[in-house]
Amino acid sequence: MRLLYQILWKDHSRTHLLGAFLGTLAGFVLLLAGIQFYMDIKSVLSENRDLLDPEYIVINKKVNIGNTLGLSGGGFTEEEIAEIEAQPFADQVAAFNSNEFPVQAYTEGDQVPNFITDLFFEAIPDEYIDVKSEDWQWDPEEGTIPVIIPQDYLNLYNFGFAPSQGLPQIPKGVLSMINFKIRLQGQGRGNYDDYNGRIVGFSNRVSSILVPVDFLEWANDKYGYFKKNDPAQVILVSKDPTDPSIIRFLEERGYDTIREKLKSSRMNIILKFVISFLVLVAAIIIGLAFLVFLLSLQLMISRSADKIRRLNKLGFHYREISRPYILLLMLLMAGITGLSLLLTYLLAGQLQQRAEAWSLNISSSLHGIIYGTALGLILLISLANITAILISTKKLCK
Amino acid sequence: MLEQDTSGSEVWEADSILLEQGKSYVVEAPSGRGKTSLLSVIYGIRTDYQGLVFFDDRDLVSLRSKEWSQIRKNRLSFIFQGLELFDDLTALENIRLKNRITTYHTDERIKEMALMLGIDPFLNRKAGILSFGQQQRVAIIRALCQPFDFLLADECFSHMDRDNSLTAYQLIRAECEARNAGLILTSLNETGLPNTDVSLKL
Repeated sequence: MRLLYQILWKDHSRTHLLGAFLGTLAGFVLLLAGIQFYMDIKSVLSENRDLLDPEYIVINKKVNIGNTLGLSGGGFTEEEIAEIEAQPFADQVAAFNSNEFPVQAYTEGDQVPNFITDLFFEAIPDEYIDVKSEDWQWDPEEGTIPVIIPQDYLNLYNFGFAPSQGLPQIPKGVLSMINFKIRLQGQGRGNYDDYNGRIVGFSNRVSSILVPVDFLEWANDKYGYFKKNDPAQVILVSKDPTDPSIIRFLEERGYDTIREKLKSSRMNIILKFVISFLVLVAAIIIGLAFLVFLLSLQLMISRSADKIRRLNKLGFHYREISRPYILLLMLLMAGITGLSLLLTYLLAGQLQQRAEAWSLNISSSLHGIIYGTALGLILLISLANITAILISTKKLCK
Repeated sequence: MLEQDTSGSEVWEADSILLEQGKSYVVEAPSGRGKTSLLSVIYGIRTDYQGLVFFDDRDLVSLRSKEWSQIRKNRLSFIFQGLELFDDLTALENIRLKNRITTYHTDERIKEMALMLGIDPFLNRKAGILSFGQQQRVAIIRALCQPFDFLLADECFSHMDRDNSLTAYQLIRAECEARNAGLILTSLNETGLPNTDVSLKL
């Protein structure tokens, strides 16, 4: 009914509607671009870690002067380990066992320089160790203790110590072939046994000298006489190391870890903060624009109050009278949806070009969630406005 | 019963009154006796009365907004004393606004009626610039552009001369008869209009 539109649209305020339109549009673009940006970065972050390989995070308590003076233990109590286990980001948790007796390693024979050193052992279940070796097993009959040392130790020697002392560098394979002796010392003089030791691998993950769990249990049984300490290190497996709650948890509890591994978690925290700020600003803008929308339409309706009453007297139902307002609203909403998606798409294209310059691979197309968010919001705003229109026209009609 | 002095009124003080379809009623009274109120009550615009008003067998109070707009589209038509025209629309558009709801009359018939009432030269002028008498005739034609069982005409000839009034009255009667509809016509004074069935004093 063209005449109805002619009558009721006459009373609109162009500035109000334009303001509401632009405001909502700005809010939408900010929100959608924010989400797009967030999804992009998120996908970049998760691409950078191996999806099949969850992160192994070794954590320890921060060392303070209390530990040095022996006033407080540096280990994790059972309760603390249980608490870590209960965290949503922790898929598996294991504590390090350690030797409860003195250990020494030494070499004999002519092939290698003689040395003797005090040593410690730690053990964690095999699934946490990044070295797979057939020799990684303990057989008391055979008496050879397999040992895994950190890759860092070898690097320290090969690239730091050896060149400065004029000593030869040692390749991994050669070091593995070196036989040395390990002396396990029980309580009391002369209560010791010598075993053969063999380095079977180098770990990038664990900074400790590792032996098989069953060996350590056996040896602690046989030689152990130290007071059992709480484990100083705990290893946890997290399928999503970008989860920002990992860092938050560690910081709250005063635990320490190799920070590098949690870089993505830290980045995620910053990203989430920036994005939530952006979303907050967008939400405020959209909220205000929504109010302007609502008020403009209500103003338009109250300006036309006389005409609406008149139309109602002529037999127009308030729903028919609402139609021009609803159509106007839908036109504006459709414009906002279309334009905001277009602008977000253009922004995403810009972002992608820039990201390519940094050799980051992000998609230039909009994520599905963008369309969902835009449509959902538009629907919400429209429904609220339509309800308001119907209520206020109904008030004017019989 | 209205909340005002209605003593001696044939309508307000009556125990009950029946308005029948097909008959024409003239309600005569000086100002302030409730002529417009009576029509407004019947048309559902005013609900501040005591007593019961039935349309067919429905209490007016029980009618929903949807039913009211159906009634106003198909069963009751009103020539408002205040005309209720849209000043920004032309005379023809004002008429069409109503006619389009039910497409009761053709454009030719509308122009014929305009010619009859002598306002055909003004059909394409904005209603707001027409004289009140011309506007009254526009409102009359508009009210005729729908089906109805009753036509409520509220002092619809007040600004017309005797000849024009008679012509308009005859047109109204003819249209009512074509629908077998009732007519309730209010007037300030003795109208002297021919062929009215019942005269009510408010």
